[in-house]
Amino acid sequence: MAFSDRLFSGTVYVVIGLFVLFCGIPFWMVVSNSVASESSLQTIGYQLLPTDLSLYAYEYLFRGKQLWSSYGVTVAVTVIGTVLALFLTSTLAYVMAHRKAKYGSLLSFMTYFTMIFGSGMVGFYMLVAIWLGLKDTLWAMILPYLLNPFFAFILVAFYRTIPYEVNEAAKIDGANEISTFFRIIWPMTVPALATITLFYALQYWNDWYLAIMFVDDYKLHPLQIMIRQLIANMNMQSYLQGGTVSFDKPLPVKGVQLATVCLTIGPIIFLYPFVQKYFVQGLTIGAVKG
Amino acid sequence: MSEIGIYKELKANRHLYLLALPGVLFLLVFAYLPMIGHFVSFKRFRPSDGLWGSEWVGLDNFAFFFGSDDWLRVTMNTLFINSLFIVFTLGIALVLAIFINELRHALYKRLAQSAIFLPYFVSWLVVSFMTYAVFNTSDGVLNKLLTSLGREGYNWYGNADLWPYILTILFVWKMSGYVTIIFFSAITAISGEYYESATLDGASRFQQILHITLPLLRPTLVVLLLLQIGRIFYGDFGMIYGIIGDNPILIPTTDVIDTYSFRALRQLGNFSMAGSVVLYQAIMGLITIVLFNWLARRIDRDSSLF
Repeated sequence: MAFSDRLFSGTVYVVIGLFVLFCGIPFWMVVSNSVASESSLQTIGYQLLPTDLSLYAYEYLFRGKQLWSSYGVTVAVTVIGTVLALFLTSTLAYVMAHRKAKYGSLLSFMTYFTMIFGSGMVGFYMLVAIWLGLKDTLWAMILPYLLNPFFAFILVAFYRTIPYEVNEAAKIDGANEISTFFRIIWPMTVPALATITLFYALQYWNDWYLAIMFVDDYKLHPLQIMIRQLIANMNMQSYLQGGTVSFDKPLPVKGVQLATVCLTIGPIIFLYPFVQKYFVQGLTIGAVKG
Repeated sequence: MSEIGIYKELKANRHLYLLALPGVLFLLVFAYLPMIGHFVSFKRFRPSDGLWGSEWVGLDNFAFFFGSDDWLRVTMNTLFINSLFIVFTLGIALVLAIFINELRHALYKRLAQSAIFLPYFVSWLVVSFMTYAVFNTSDGVLNKLLTSLGREGYNWYGNADLWPYILTILFVWKMSGYVTIIFFSAITAISGEYYESATLDGASRFQQILHITLPLLRPTLVVLLLLQIGRIFYGDFGMIYGIIGDNPILIPTTDVIDTYSFRALRQLGNFSMAGSVVLYQAIMGLITIVLFNWLARRIDRDSSLF
């Protein structure tokens, strides 16, 4: 290999290595320091390799009420939201892609227009909080995200690749469009549906916009808002415990923050190796056409 | 199509349209109905009077918004911060994708992609927590590092001018993996024959990138650029409000249209003022996206979005 090629290749390895560290170190710091003792966090600060270890922050969280209720809210919102969103998005996208539906392109335009001209925060707030009266309910954190136009168009691109003969064969067998869709098209599009499902699940798990807009009741705080509450540092003790348990040791302020962050990103990091390929696939389809 | 034609079509394909009904209802209720809310910007809204009962005030709310210094400040902040995000994220992601493609060890290649993509999967509030851990004055990682080197700690949260750039670093951290994957998939779609014949002609790796990879990535770059410029009037609320919150010292340089209208709505309870800001944003956004789509079509027919 020529010298210039070797120099270039060396640069490539170093640059990528540095960027990988830049992306990875914050995760390592959060996870490793969440098991550091509160006294070492307070005196030494964050360390690459904490020496004085303690699980007290986790114990403190597990014995309080807030973590369990926040986890419950986040899981409920994610599961219910993802299932409903998958149903709504796939049915609409299927009709948009269907060559028999004359109004398919009208539906596409209706969906597309919402991407370029928003209703805006104020009308949206009025709708959910005043007209629908969903303030301080789980539904306020679920309903608004049921249809993401971008994901719908990813599915449309996928449905277009299915040969129309499939529909014709089903029709000859006497199936109507609804049963064709659920019995034949769904099983054929599992990879695309998996991608959409995961994108929705991630969106629900990480969202805090809807919660900060519509939820004041701390019993309905999702995990993300719990993190925010812990950073703000107000009345941490009664917030976390729910006023029932008492501890002889003081509240591990920093440890509890780190542990909550770990418990929030934990499921994502755990599932990441298995689901990454579906996200990559979604981006690849999405990139083909906007 | 006549009324009878519409009825005929709906009847002939009734199962199909039934299938689309939940989605259509959703769009009507959650995307189109709230557009009525734009009327609030022409009213002096009081919740007790409702949207229709409130008094019409014509363009008073707009006069107030454009008469203050706020509109120029939040508009410029939005455009400036988004421009930084677009330039650095696309630029860095392009380099990363090309470099990852140059890696020869399959395992290292996979690990690098996974690590760079990982930050995309955490919420902005988690990023906000990490940011505070790094930058806070009393015991942040950065200041601990400075003091251990014998330097004095710096009050990062006290210098507003730094934050557009700090936000850019955070945005690059979280989002460049996403864009890298898109570029990378475009690179892997390039036929290997180009590189083979270039190698036979004695072109170095670097020359091949310059004369083969980059030109062939142009359409992808243009589409991504357009998508993002089309949304340049929309600040990333989840990010900026998550990280900056209501910190009054940082607001002058980091307050974007979205955080400004959020504050007007949720903290001041001023629906009409928030509404006029939001309508201004929606119209500017619409103009931008139509304009840039038209431009793209003139430059390159295949690059336009619609």
